[in-house]
Amino acid sequence: MSDKLKDIINKQGQQQESVVGQLDDVVQLVGFIIGDEEYAIPILSIQEIIKPISWTRVPQVPKYVLGVFNLRGSVIPLIDLRTKFGLPIKKQNDETRFIVMRHGDDVAGFVIDRLTMAIRIKKENVGPPPDTVNGDNTIIDGVGKQEDKIITILKVNKLLERDF
Amino acid sequence: MDEFQEILQDFLVESFELVEKLDEDLVELESHPDDLELLNGIFRVAHTVKGASSFLNFDTLTHLTHHMEDVLNKARHGDLIISPDIMDVILESIDLMKALLEKIRDTSSDDGIDVAACVARLDKISNGDLSGLADAVANEEANKEAAAEEAQEVVEEPEEEPDYDNMDPDDVEAEIERLLAQRQAEDKAKREAKIAAGEEVPSMPPEPSDEEPKEEKKEEKVQAKKAPTPAPVSAPKASSKKASSDDAKAAAPAKRAPATVEQTIRVDVKRLDHLMNLIGELVLAKNRLIKINDDVEERYEGEEFLEELNQVVSIVSLVTTDLQIAVMKTRMLPIGKVFNKFPRMIRDLSRELNKKIELVISGEDTELDKSIVEEIGDPLVHIIRNSCDHGVETPEERLAKGKPEEGTITLKAYNEGNQIVIQIDDDGKGLDPQMLKEKSLEKGVITEKEAENMSDKEAFTLIFRPGFSTAAAVTSVSGRGVGMDVVKTNIEKLNGMIDIDSEIDKGTSIKLKIPLTLAIIQALLVGVQEEHYAIPLASVLETVRISKDEIYTVEGRSVMRLRDDVLSLVHIGDIFEVERILDASEHAYVVVLGLGTSKLGLIVDILVGQEEIVIKSLGDYLKGIEGIAGATIRGDGGVTLIVDVVALMSMARDVKASTMANNNESEAASSEKTKPSDYTIMVVDDSKTDRTIMRKSLEPMGVTIVEANDGQEALNILKAGDYNFDAMLIDIEMPRMDGYTLATEIKKYNRYKNLPLIAVTSRTSKSDRMRGVESGMVEYITKPYSADYLASVVQRNVNFKSEFL
Repeated sequence: MSDKLKDIINKQGQQQESVVGQLDDVVQLVGFIIGDEEYAIPILSIQEIIKPISWTRVPQVPKYVLGVFNLRGSVIPLIDLRTKFGLPIKKQNDETRFIVMRHGDDVAGFVIDRLTMAIRIKKENVGPPPDTVNGDNTIIDGVGKQEDKIITILKVNKLLERDF
Repeated sequence: MDEFQEILQDFLVESFELVEKLDEDLVELESHPDDLELLNGIFRVAHTVKGASSFLNFDTLTHLTHHMEDVLNKARHGDLIISPDIMDVILESIDLMKALLEKIRDTSSDDGIDVAACVARLDKISNGDLSGLADAVANEEANKEAAAEEAQEVVEEPEEEPDYDNMDPDDVEAEIERLLAQRQAEDKAKREAKIAAGEEVPSMPPEPSDEEPKEEKKEEKVQAKKAPTPAPVSAPKASSKKASSDDAKAAAPAKRAPATVEQTIRVDVKRLDHLMNLIGELVLAKNRLIKINDDVEERYEGEEFLEELNQVVSIVSLVTTDLQIAVMKTRMLPIGKVFNKFPRMIRDLSRELNKKIELVISGEDTELDKSIVEEIGDPLVHIIRNSCDHGVETPEERLAKGKPEEGTITLKAYNEGNQIVIQIDDDGKGLDPQMLKEKSLEKGVITEKEAENMSDKEAFTLIFRPGFSTAAAVTSVSGRGVGMDVVKTNIEKLNGMIDIDSEIDKGTSIKLKIPLTLAIIQALLVGVQEEHYAIPLASVLETVRISKDEIYTVEGRSVMRLRDDVLSLVHIGDIFEVERILDASEHAYVVVLGLGTSKLGLIVDILVGQEEIVIKSLGDYLKGIEGIAGATIRGDGGVTLIVDVVALMSMARDVKASTMANNNESEAASSEKTKPSDYTIMVVDDSKTDRTIMRKSLEPMGVTIVEANDGQEALNILKAGDYNFDAMLIDIEMPRMDGYTLATEIKKYNRYKNLPLIAVTSRTSKSDRMRGVESGMVEYITKPYSADYLASVVQRNVNFKSEFL
């Protein structure tokens, strides 16, 4: 009996290891659309994704900071990525979502046009950002290549950084 | 090693508490130099610290305290009279001791602080070499008794300091074990005795045989760690009695018994903060529940289950309030914690300034939130220093004025409603408003004009302006003109207020009014356009309803007359960049804000009401927004921003008084037309046929046409703001919202003030036309009409450019 048990445990251990092995060279991302472009951020930096709710305007901030909203008792800033990326304002519709991102203690909600899907992409298929946008200040972490398209992967810590 | 850390922590906590008490005792001692009780107490502190520090291998600290102990021991035996000069040296050594303890706390080592000089001075005193320190008599006396003293020390020494340094770790371990076991035994005995005989234990069985004085002392130290507060008080009694008889020795622990009855635990402040946060959430949920209850009540009036619901809601809200108060109380500290350091400060200052000052403290039991107690210390130090330096006169001056030689400063704390008042009075020379004005003029703090219009009370507040100082010369005590400015900022940070009153040659009285707690506050909710803001109620003096013509403009600023004063006004919308969508009504409300001594009227559209709110931070991303102190979550789940009154006051100075005047220039500029389709017309009619006819009539012009089914839909399209309309064609008879109502609604919006509304209707009576004009219609077209006529009316109203025709 105990041998059997050991066997099972061993097997499970191996399985886990292999899963970890797989995870090691795969990044999991969540893709979304802003304007005409598809962007993605690591799935682990997403706290949650919610449908648009009402928010309160905050004075004396750049246009792309829409204000603050109440997420189950926490007051969280809301940032419009369209405006931040210099795109014209578009009305929120049924596909609009708030992505609540977290990096360390920093949390903020981001308005995006629509979600696409969760993406698994091999690490070797993620290239560095194009030369024209490199440097420490870029919010682009890298470019993920897929069969038919490329996806811009964003740096969550940069998105959550206050730049005003 | 962990064990050592634990012991070290206990040692530090204990030592700091002892030292804090020491300051008070020493000052007291100076006025009663022969109080043996006090002397014994002070001696014990030095001794306890010495014992513990030698045990923990802090050689510098041991060295210092050992010499302090020598001096105090002499005084205790009456071999030394404590003169102010000797006291200075003792106080200096206490300061060094504090510095060493702080060093130990920060670095776990006592290296790097030089005590040699102080030790040398202490030695001088204890050796009776008081050259320059005391007179010849004391000198002689000291010399005489030096021999006796030496002998005594020989007797004492062996019992006092077993050589812990040279013990190997095992021995130390064993020693600790032994002491612990012994203490437990003692505790047990004590407990039994208490059960048997209550508090009074006159003849307790003697404690174990290995009880030599040193062990007893050691034990008390351990005891003191467990019950630190009463220890310094009871310790001297214990030590003096122990010296006298065996009986008293046994009684000593019994005397301390009440200490163990009062059970306290130390709790990490973080845990309390967390608890406070949770309560905050609960208060929010409670507010929400009450709101929902009200809604339900309205909808299901008379239903039976309502009563039950009501009961539950009121119980929940009652318990929540109680819970909130209970948790707030756990965070409360007596303000005595802060007051304690002032007797010493006054003593030092009076010696430095050659003045005689007595400090009278009352209400030190008054409790305040921990965070406030921490913040209030600095302002008080500044105020008291100021009172000593500028307030109280020199003894000669005082005598000349017929006042007692010794000046008095009274420090009082008491509750007043939801606030704590800390009052600092002195019986010094008082503030001279005229002199204050002159000084401020000289330093350019105020203008001549301001000075003229200033009341005495306002003049007093000048001392809080940055850059102001009444001292003729900068002394080490004050006169740099920073202190009182700091007081003001710190108190305002706590949402507090300062009240100052003074009479020449009678004295000055400063009152600090501070809210009890910081996390949950009462707030006044106000509305401007479609936004709401919360203003801390502590800063609201009153609210007034005014009509627009009560607002005057003086030098580009809005002001109003409030009783006998002129109050400067600022519109909340100007400060927070609120877009004026809705037209302001004829009346407005003014919230009179008071901070410290300045006042400001804040114009708002509506007053929503008073509510208890929980302050939440906006987080790192949005912190430091000027004028916003934080946010709170309302009963409906929405977020409301909390106004930072301090910042708002300073922002108000820079805001121009665009207040009530509306400017439509920006709109005109934005609507530059380059082609016919830039013109947008809305057609509102419930009949599809009518809409089509209108569309057909206008299409030849090439303008953009948007259709709406009824008034409500039209209003929604307008609100959405997707189009910039140049004119609207409105039918009168429509379901949901008719044409007149629609027109009235539209005219409420500033943006659409000048939007031409054209009625297109089959109603032809004169009264219908009148109603149309009243509701803001500019043209009245009766059906049927020709297509050309409609087009020409529209063209005329939208200023259709002729080149497009």
